[in-house]
Amino acid sequence: MLRPMHLRTLFDRLARVIITVGGLATIVSILGIFFFLFREVTPLFTAPSAKLTQRLSVPALLVDEGPAQVAVDEHREIAQVFTSGAIQFFDLASGQPIPLEMPAQVVGRQITAMASGGGNAQRLAVGTADGEILLLKVGTTTEFTDRGERRKRPHIRAGQPIPLTKSPIVRLAYRANDQGSLLALVSKGGRLLVVRIAADDVTGQHPVVTELPQPRGAVTALALDALLENLYVGTADGQVVHVALSETEPPEMRAAYTIAAPSTAVTALGFLSGDRSLVVMSEDGAVSTWGLVRRADAPSGWTLTQIHTLRAHNAPVTAFAPSQRVKGFVTGDRKGNLFLHHATSSQTLLRLATSEFPIRAVAFAPKGDGLIALDGAGQLSLYQVQNAYPEVTLETLFGKVWYEGYDQPAHVWQSSSGSDDVEPKLGLLPLAFGTLKGTMYALFLAVPIAILAAMCTSQFMQQDLRAKIKPIIEVMAALPTVVLGFLAGLWLAPLLERMLPAVAGMALVLPLLVVGASFAWYLCPLSAKRHLPQGQEALLLIPLLGLGIVGCLWANSLIEGWWFDGNVKAWLSSRLGIQYDQRNALIVGIVMGFAIVPVIYSIAEEALSNVPKIQIAGSLALGATRWQTVLHLVLLSASPGIFSAVMIGFGRAIGETMIVLMATGNTPILDWNWANGFRTLSANIAVEIPEAPHGGTLYRVLFLAALLLFIVTFVINSLAELVRQRLRDKYSHG
Amino acid sequence: MGERSTLMKDFWRGGELFVWMTASGVALSLMMVAGMLGLIMINGLGQFWPAALQETTLKTQETVIGQVVGEEVIPNSITPDSPAGQRRCRYRVGNRDQFGSEYRWINAADIVSSARPEDLTLVERREWGPAFGRITVGVEGAATGSASGSSWTTVKTLVERANQLRRRIEHLEREEIGSINYRIEKARLARHALTLNGRLAPADAEKDQRLLDQMTALERDYLVKTEALERLHKEAGQEVLFLTLSTGRSVRLSLDQVLAVSRPNGMHWGEKLLAYVRNLWLFVSSEPREANTEGGIFPAIFGTVLMVFLMTLAVMPFGVMAAVYLREYANQGLLVRLVRIAVNNLAGVPSIVFGVFGLAFFVYALGGTIDHWLFPEALPNPTFGTGGILWASLTLALLTVPVVIVATEEGLSAVPRDFREGSLGLGATKFETLRHVILPCALPGILTGLILAMARAAGEVAPLMLTGVVKLAPALPLDEYLPFLHLDRKFMHLGFHIYDVGFQSPNVEAAKPMVYMTTLILILVVVSLNWTAVRLRNRLRRRFAASAV
Repeated sequence: MLRPMHLRTLFDRLARVIITVGGLATIVSILGIFFFLFREVTPLFTAPSAKLTQRLSVPALLVDEGPAQVAVDEHREIAQVFTSGAIQFFDLASGQPIPLEMPAQVVGRQITAMASGGGNAQRLAVGTADGEILLLKVGTTTEFTDRGERRKRPHIRAGQPIPLTKSPIVRLAYRANDQGSLLALVSKGGRLLVVRIAADDVTGQHPVVTELPQPRGAVTALALDALLENLYVGTADGQVVHVALSETEPPEMRAAYTIAAPSTAVTALGFLSGDRSLVVMSEDGAVSTWGLVRRADAPSGWTLTQIHTLRAHNAPVTAFAPSQRVKGFVTGDRKGNLFLHHATSSQTLLRLATSEFPIRAVAFAPKGDGLIALDGAGQLSLYQVQNAYPEVTLETLFGKVWYEGYDQPAHVWQSSSGSDDVEPKLGLLPLAFGTLKGTMYALFLAVPIAILAAMCTSQFMQQDLRAKIKPIIEVMAALPTVVLGFLAGLWLAPLLERMLPAVAGMALVLPLLVVGASFAWYLCPLSAKRHLPQGQEALLLIPLLGLGIVGCLWANSLIEGWWFDGNVKAWLSSRLGIQYDQRNALIVGIVMGFAIVPVIYSIAEEALSNVPKIQIAGSLALGATRWQTVLHLVLLSASPGIFSAVMIGFGRAIGETMIVLMATGNTPILDWNWANGFRTLSANIAVEIPEAPHGGTLYRVLFLAALLLFIVTFVINSLAELVRQRLRDKYSHG
Repeated sequence: MGERSTLMKDFWRGGELFVWMTASGVALSLMMVAGMLGLIMINGLGQFWPAALQETTLKTQETVIGQVVGEEVIPNSITPDSPAGQRRCRYRVGNRDQFGSEYRWINAADIVSSARPEDLTLVERREWGPAFGRITVGVEGAATGSASGSSWTTVKTLVERANQLRRRIEHLEREEIGSINYRIEKARLARHALTLNGRLAPADAEKDQRLLDQMTALERDYLVKTEALERLHKEAGQEVLFLTLSTGRSVRLSLDQVLAVSRPNGMHWGEKLLAYVRNLWLFVSSEPREANTEGGIFPAIFGTVLMVFLMTLAVMPFGVMAAVYLREYANQGLLVRLVRIAVNNLAGVPSIVFGVFGLAFFVYALGGTIDHWLFPEALPNPTFGTGGILWASLTLALLTVPVVIVATEEGLSAVPRDFREGSLGLGATKFETLRHVILPCALPGILTGLILAMARAAGEVAPLMLTGVVKLAPALPLDEYLPFLHLDRKFMHLGFHIYDVGFQSPNVEAAKPMVYMTTLILILVVVSLNWTAVRLRNRLRRRFAASAV
């Protein structure tokens, strides 16, 4: 019984709409994966930006020619301005100064130099016109009012003044750690002093003062590192002098480095966060970072080397501040420009024309999302900075990068470390290399086996047997790779470690056995052959090869004795210089090869068996042997199909995760050697993404790795598919 | 001489050698498959057979009790004097808490005598793996158990009783106390929801009080139950067994630690077979113990099945719809051809890429939004904003939908055009043709696609690691509390279980047989699904190959 016609048409239309919408939605959503991945990656490469959010004029009291420091808190609510005139805090919401009780020690002293102590606590040291030093701690206490609002109260604590010289202190450097405090200072007369205050000397009344010989030019800048071991002195004639300091021994002038043209003064010195990279800024506006690098020819074994050169200012650099989170920093010049740099990636991210007056002081907000700068006219500018991924550029991802603490530029993947001061090293090249290495070893094993097997079943094998064997090999493709990975890591790796000589033996014995078997078959008289099964060479070979393998395993120690002096690992390392790791590329080659054999086999088999039978029959009829026919006719005709089979196998191996995760040891090294491990892009994602904070640099770089895998496999598969379709068309028409 | 060289030349030219070389490719492939399956079966199935306990006396007068699990030539022991080398046996001596390690190598040369006395007992414990020795019964507080009344039957009854007690304790802990905890947490969240926007609205005050009362009542109930639990624990710990180890030392075994006792040396083969089947059943049906290295894998099997089931629910309608659209409704132009190639190629995109997508899209983007709108009272603890079985299933559905589309399309295209034209010619609408003619004909193709998708999903691990699989889930995703199916829960999975136990567990050596067995089960599931799909596909091809003529 049919429904009425109008209902039937309605159903038909409805079905059309539902199927179209549902079908399109499914297709769009699976193709949308690409765009979603792309969207997660793009923030890495968006240019940083800064927005001026506030500008206020500081009281005239704070406007002078002397030293200055600025700071802003992490919520960007309170700004701190510290000049030789006074210390003042500003509530940025209202723009009003916050009343503050000054310690008695500060009041009435004329400040001629100041330096920050580094680290998170706001430690400051100031030098006075009377040749005294005063250590200060600036902090804020956060209170919550009854209504649950957050209110911050700044406070200052000061130690007792420490008299050191008679003349005013003009330059000062200061670092403090749990062993004590160290200061370096220059007096107006040019005396260079190092002052050490032990940690247990709370009041600072027993400083140990050492005077250093004066360098050739006048001292224009000082920098001390947090280890309290290295002092760098910048001079007016363009030199940086390295002084090694120690608690027990007298200071030692290590070396003087010329960093700028003579008579070009070093205008500022500073450290990046972690106090390992020295930033040198000079009168001609040049900005560069320097680090101690191991050199055999240097007297101390180390030499200060220029690592990165950044964009130069057009005017002398007057202010510097490091970022507290990354290896970035900001510099300000006499013409009022601010440059935002990132050292490791050697790039200057932003240029901000802040004012027309010299920048007196500049600072990052603690989270790196804000900047504050004070200019010579007393203007305080506050910027909001969008700069979440300064360390990532195409060059840092794929090129050699000179990381802090390295002797030379290198490809490194090391996404995390024990300390916050060590930068993450996100070089994808070792991982891409590992991916390629694993794939190559797997193909090296899988391609010959798969193609030989495909040739055998499609051309030489008896049809009934072929119908049984083909599905067995193809079902291998469905084996979960976690199973193969488990066998590779826990069964094959320890076995191969002991049985390496046997494997070497097999490489020799098995081909010999095949040659022997074929020769025996050839010699076998025709009358006898008639009673033997035809087209079943493979079955005959199984027991033979099995015996060969068992024999080699049994003779393992014998082979080790004959060929490898009784100890294969020692032999490898002494003769070939190869260090054998238990989980290595050979294991992955074998097991991943095993995983892709069925993939390559099934496509190659299809291509080979699609070669028209009539052509084969023609060739045989003309007197060619079956091998000649296969070599010159079938293989040639099917070569595009075989090529596409190899490509698909390649694509499969590139993205394989579980096998490499379990069988490689996951060490990201660049080495083609078969006896050591590697780390692939895919395994790296599996290992690291659960620990990567959502939206962070590592997270997005891992997404980039996933996107790369996606694109590479997609392109390879598409090419292979195209080749296959053309081949299919050719034979369906011909 | 000349004859010989022509012979060689002929042999070379004829290519017989190369034919045999191609055959070696097939032979090697088959040997690898067979070898791998054999390896897994032997290692996996062998472990459940009750192995004999060997009591071996060494030259040093030391006695060792254990199962012999391996034998080999000592590495580097081959010298001109002894070309065969020295042999050694690997004993599983158990008693990890006493000996430090569960395995021990014993050189064959050191063995004086070896026997299998019937009174050697294997004790399976809740912790520290098995223990081997001779057993006696005692009472807490008394000295080492006297020989009287310690007959084997007494021991077995005691263990049986202890097991009953343990089941009661487990019931109390899991069902009754678990249910109270669940209800308390529900009430707490409900109260929290009332005060989400800062303060309690006056209208909700009564509701809040009611919830508070409910919570107090539940907490009272909780105290009562825990007291009962404590009593049971005390009762369980009263009777003890004493185990005399190979060293002669006697150790106390609290009965609540003992899971089972057996004397494998005294069993005849029928009993052994029974024990084998029981062990196998326990493995499949019980929960893991000791960081997954002992016990069973039931939660992993359950998680795998449920995840695959949910994935099938998601993938079937959409995959079939997309294929029907592409094949029956869309205009067959260049665009559709390109889309078809793209969809086909998505099946070759690495699974980890889908995992990454699932993490970012389902877990963070979708899950985060759902939490924000529907479960704000639980924040900052995520409900859907973390990995869970729903997200894992959907991720795998995306991964496998190309498989379904491709197979369905193949099925649809194999339906002869005559069928379509006949149906349309008889006046049926397109939809009716689809429903009554085309889809029934294409059903084997669709099923093939689905089964292949299920097989692929069951074996994938990498994407799950990012979207919700865990090494040990506290609860199954399906239970008796509303809404019964908890899509936000994390789950266990056979494949991940293999990775976790094999590579992250503290006692890999002892866990290896378990991993082999898990592997075997996973392979069985995947391979049998695939086999079915291949058979179905072949039948489909034959049917239409015949009818298309």
